Amino acid sequence: MLWFEMNGKDSDVVVSSRVRLARNLADYPFGDRLNEPSAKEIIEKVKGVFDGKDDYKFTDFASLDKISRSAEAARHKVSPEFAASDSPRALIESDSKNTYIMVLEEDHIRIQSVKPGFALEEALDAAFEADGMIDSALRVAYDEKLGYLTHCPTNLGTGMRASVMMFLPALTYAGGMRSLQNGLGKIGLTIRGMDGEGSNADGCLYQISNQVTLGTSEDEIVSKLSKIVENIEEQERTLRKKLKEDARFEDRVMRAYGTMLYATLIDTNELTKLYADVRLGVSLGLIENVTTRQLDEMLVCGMSGVLMSEAENVRTPAQRDRARADMIRKKLAK
Amino acid sequence: MLCEKCKKNEAVVFYKETVNGKTKSMALCEKCAREAEDAGEIKGMSGGFFEDTFAGVNSIFGSLFGLPQYHQKAIGETEKCTLCGATFDDLVREGKAGCPECYKTFSDELSGTIAKIHGTTSHTGNAPARFRAGREKKRQIASLEAELKEAVASEEYEKAAELRDRLKELKSDAEKDGE
Ligand SMILES: [Zn+2]
Ligand SMILES: [Zn+2]
Repeated sequence: MLWFEMNGKDSDVVVSSRVRLARNLADYPFGDRLNEPSAKEIIEKVKGVFDGKDDYKFTDFASLDKISRSAEAARHKVSPEFAASDSPRALIESDSKNTYIMVLEEDHIRIQSVKPGFALEEALDAAFEADGMIDSALRVAYDEKLGYLTHCPTNLGTGMRASVMMFLPALTYAGGMRSLQNGLGKIGLTIRGMDGEGSNADGCLYQISNQVTLGTSEDEIVSKLSKIVENIEEQERTLRKKLKEDARFEDRVMRAYGTMLYATLIDTNELTKLYADVRLGVSLGLIENVTTRQLDEMLVCGMSGVLMSEAENVRTPAQRDRARADMIRKKLAK
Repeated sequence: MLCEKCKKNEAVVFYKETVNGKTKSMALCEKCAREAEDAGEIKGMSGGFFEDTFAGVNSIFGSLFGLPQYHQKAIGETEKCTLCGATFDDLVREGKAGCPECYKTFSDELSGTIAKIHGTTSHTGNAPARFRAGREKKRQIASLEAELKEAVASEEYEKAAELRDRLKELKSDAEKDGE
């Protein structure tokens, strides 16, 4: 199952947790310096590692059409950059472990595991499992001093990015994001807004990740990030309690829910806003019978690429808006 | 509102991305948005809300790399990486290494930049299995050497001889492992 189809820990505040490991093969150049025969050789080698392993499925990603590729990016299996390119590349995925291995992204191999909710350690374990399989079969580029060698020196050392996608509406409304951002920057963490599609789209989603990859171990990265996430969770929950007492806020949440239930045309911009309001309403107990999991699924399935890959006749924006509203109503009826 | 690129069609895609407080925004028509997406100028319209965390730092790095103090080699002595053929100028221009071997070839030139990015140049995390054994042996050798020193100091010559034999064995093993 995909991360958004599963229930996760602390899902009122944490949407998903991800660990990514960058790995390269010692004897091949990076990026543009890699010619097509060598690129295909790398794909074959990595494919060979997972051949016959039932858990891992291989896809020749370059052979997929553009819509399917962008849908996989919306599902967070691959990066948008990986989905956009036409050059040789492959995806090896394990559904049961939530692990997705991109072959020939910026690095030769990028292993990522995406878990629902707050589950960084589980994500690290899953990524390490795939890493171990690759390591035992292929010569991975490594230097005793610099650690894992990567295309971009910003990823040297562990080659690891741990990131947590957090849902922070109360902190956002209270104007606390600026100071949070400054604080995180000082301790080597990065925060990114998740605006994506749509103007002023505000899903109140933020991705927090480690910036430094060298000189700190994988476990240290995870435990440092986890401590900060727990701290932010606490702040967010405290602020939410105050919001609940505000009658105007309850009205806003219920109006958003009403729109989800009855509107017939919804664009991505509106979906993102509705998502934020209803998700907050659910976590505060203002709306029952709807789960955060359903809403996360809705947000992913409402992305244009996913809508187009899952149904026909959704070529134009207007058709997509209708299909999006239909999908939302269907998911709520479940 | 008209599309910022072609200035002909109505803008329907409003792209906004925030990295560490810096916001980039664009208003585009559907056609130009697709082209921009294909060209990698904007993140996939459908994948945008889960951005690549690697991307933001790379752009910072490009400018770091070009800092003149790390880039002082006289003309005529342009060294090339034996595996990929890249020169240090290539690395500066591309903001990235050409291959894993580049880190060895240009280790002197790169160490300052790497220290600037990470605050250190020494890895402490996981290692591939073929290095883990070596790491463990190195650790054993170091601890045996300390024990040997102590044995000699306290005149336990029998123990010292035994330790010396074990060290010799370990060291020759470690050499055989070296690639
Ligand atoms: Zn245009
Ligand atoms: Zn090279």
